[in-house]
Amino acid sequence: MNRLEKRAWGNLGGIILCVIIAGPGLALMVHLNTNGIVGLASFLISGLIVGLISYRRNIKIWAELDERERKIAARASALSSYVFILYLYCASFVVFFVVGAKNPVPAYILPATFLSGLFLMIFVQSVVVLIQFAKERRDE
Amino acid sequence: MSNARLSNNIRRLRFEKGEMTQQHLADIVGVTRQTIIAIEQGKYAPSLPLAFQIARAFNVPLEAVFQYEPENPAPSPRSLI
Repeated sequence: MNRLEKRAWGNLGGIILCVIIAGPGLALMVHLNTNGIVGLASFLISGLIVGLISYRRNIKIWAELDERERKIAARASALSSYVFILYLYCASFVVFFVVGAKNPVPAYILPATFLSGLFLMIFVQSVVVLIQFAKERRDE
Repeated sequence: MSNARLSNNIRRLRFEKGEMTQQHLADIVGVTRQTIIAIEQGKYAPSLPLAFQIARAFNVPLEAVFQYEPENPAPSPRSLI
């Protein structure tokens, strides 16, 4: 199995794990009505650490890919970014029109929308990579 | 550009070069075997540096490995007059 394929399968597994952890985690925070500077700081720091680790990992993987694999990865990234933007566009306007322009929206909607969009983006990216390799293998 | 085809003689050149395997060629030019398969089958058009590397691996000029075949050849200057 190709490096990129392994990474795509790993990402799919990671998403399932994240949904299992983040879903109840967010529900608990909503239940406890979490707020305050400590929670904000811990979330910002952990987000930065995860982002940095993910960036370093991506740079390392990118360096190991050949030009055809990079093209496949770039195509998947472009499509998933487009899906992410489209999702955020739809989600924000659905909330706007469902709740009403002047009515309040619960604050947990914002992180829930962002996180679900992020998971969707990684899911689409992984699936597009796997489809491209599966198509190539079928044609071999 | 879309109605053009890039054909190649990589398979023939590999066999002429002592039955070089796809993996061996891939190792020489620094790509995966899947990339060599895709190029051989005409499903992937390599970049210019990779095309030159492949030609160099066989010690032949680029034109001996890759051929550019436009479906609608450009009109000759005389036909434009």
